[in-house]
Amino acid sequence: MENGSLNIIMFSGTADKLIPLGVLTQTAANMGVPVRIFVTGWAMTVFKKDGPKNANRISKEFEDVAPMLMKGLQDMKAPSWYDMLKSAKEIGDVKIYACSLMSEALKLKSLQDFDQIVDDIIGAASFMQMSSGGQVIFI
Amino acid sequence: MAVINVDSRGSACPGPITDLVKAYKRANNGDTIELLATDPGIKADSKAWCERTGNELLGIEENNGEYKVKILVKSKK
Repeated sequence: MENGSLNIIMFSGTADKLIPLGVLTQTAANMGVPVRIFVTGWAMTVFKKDGPKNANRISKEFEDVAPMLMKGLQDMKAPSWYDMLKSAKEIGDVKIYACSLMSEALKLKSLQDFDQIVDDIIGAASFMQMSSGGQVIFI
Repeated sequence: MAVINVDSRGSACPGPITDLVKAYKRANNGDTIELLATDPGIKADSKAWCERTGNELLGIEENNGEYKVKILVKSKK
């Protein structure tokens, strides 16, 4: 893709990983870099319908630090990961796709079963094709 | 040749650059954007944004933890 691209395989579904997803995506949009997010694994649970508002889990190994971090972000009035993704979609070329294999496994049959921020349900081959030549990261 | 003022004080990274991009979208070549921010990342980030997008960083003034970034818009198509 023109300008290079950032392609994120979003596997984790915990808040501590969703925050960097939001920051990276919004930053790429700011810089004019196209972003494609492939939602799979545990991340499916937070991108399905009514998922974002229930995305409060934290990685177990840092659960002692998490309340302090979350409080700090709240004090700064930092936007949520979801608001960062929304903002990124407003200003840049950002698309979010749900993994078709995981969709089927979780009985999420159509796009209506997902939050409206998700653009489509696609297979891994489509993601591989659209991300070829760009940077790919796994979160 | 308008001056567009953007107040991003209190907003954390990457908010100020998003505010800058929103102002940039409605700007014309020759306009100046003056961005106020308190996020210390803005110094390096506004420079990186200008390099990436081909706009000109005219200067950054720092005053008591507040930054005023001046950017000349020149890359609009």
